[in-house]
Amino acid sequence: MDDYAIGVLTNVGLISFLALSAYLLLIAGEMSFGQQAFFGVGAYAGGMLTAMYGWPLPLAALAAMALGALAQFLVGLPTLRLRGLYFAMATLAAAEMARILFALLHFQRQLEGEPVGPDGTQGFRGIRWVFEHGVEPAEYLGIVYALLIVALALFLLVERSRLGATLRGVGEDAELAASLGVDVNRVKLGVAAAAGALAALGGVLYAHHNTYIEPRNFDIMLGVHSLAYALIGGLGTALGPLLGVVLDIGALEGSRVFQGYRMIVFGGLVALLLIWRPRGLLDEKAVQWLRRRFC
Amino acid sequence: MAKTALLLILALCAGPALAQAPKADLQCKFTGTDFVYDCTIRLSRGGKPLEGAQVTVGADMPSMPMAHNVKPVKAQPAQVPGEYKAKLDLEMLGVWAVKLRLAGPVKDQLILHYEFDSKGATPVKR
Repeated sequence: MDDYAIGVLTNVGLISFLALSAYLLLIAGEMSFGQQAFFGVGAYAGGMLTAMYGWPLPLAALAAMALGALAQFLVGLPTLRLRGLYFAMATLAAAEMARILFALLHFQRQLEGEPVGPDGTQGFRGIRWVFEHGVEPAEYLGIVYALLIVALALFLLVERSRLGATLRGVGEDAELAASLGVDVNRVKLGVAAAAGALAALGGVLYAHHNTYIEPRNFDIMLGVHSLAYALIGGLGTALGPLLGVVLDIGALEGSRVFQGYRMIVFGGLVALLLIWRPRGLLDEKAVQWLRRRFC
Repeated sequence: MAKTALLLILALCAGPALAQAPKADLQCKFTGTDFVYDCTIRLSRGGKPLEGAQVTVGADMPSMPMAHNVKPVKAQPAQVPGEYKAKLDLEMLGVWAVKLRLAGPVKDQLILHYEFDSKGATPVKR
């Protein structure tokens, strides 16, 4: 496999974490335009821990996930009281606040005579852990996909469990779920924390793949795309968001058929799909049909 | 297989192996064909030209990481020590994060921000 193919596949894997994070909130009935903020929290936290303090990547990733979970839990406390469009707007506002905070973050240490750490809008360079430890691109691709498979397996397990049914129940009709004894607020806060941790894991892996991050990496475009991947791929299964990512980055970006016009094609595709299949290609009906046919 | 996995786990958990980071500078000229630039990359390490490196040059749009980039190309060594040449085929004008992936005597990745226009490229200062 050449470097370009490895790069495209790694990008597909990295953005899948963000798409799964948006999907998790969608099945709980909430549309977040702000998952890029927690991706950014993970990227900055993980990058700072390895580049500035010499933490090993696995420990830094765990710490970044904990911080991402805490951040989204705290954002969820006031915002999950809101519904529909109001929640979506609140998450977008929170994400923009986070992006501005990244732009204001100047915190550097001198290492070997060089300043290392976030430098506001100049970004954060030198997140070189992967290169310093001789991890080859193909090996890093393996790490990303191993973690993605673990995340996906957890999703598929949860979806077949009572918790999964509760989540979908809360997402379909929160009042009905509450009348059946479900603590809706608690479920949604738990989902928010898990979504934050997942986005942060994607972020820490992205920062170490790219070696450089800046506030602009975490703007609304990334959030809209992560949501679009879940909506295109489908809300019937956790494989849906991954299908959305593969269609956009793997097929459109990877093939370069449309070159600079890809974003226009992608926007049109989202619009058409939302009219034709409002819950995506792999929606609940499609998943049921596939299960009857193949399982 | 198990040995490889064990080595990978040990590598992942080891402490930092600090090494002097390479530095790069870029000069690009517009070729006359839309969005295509002839670029010269100067690499140094510890103040000395970095020779013998295998350099792959790519570019990302900073506001759309992972999803909007151009296919990387291999740079060829020039006659001047530490200099490498590559042709960059971008999709549009504007700010691009040029990604230099180094292999050979040093394995690293450097990101340089340049604004590409109808003349060439200038470093971005924010």
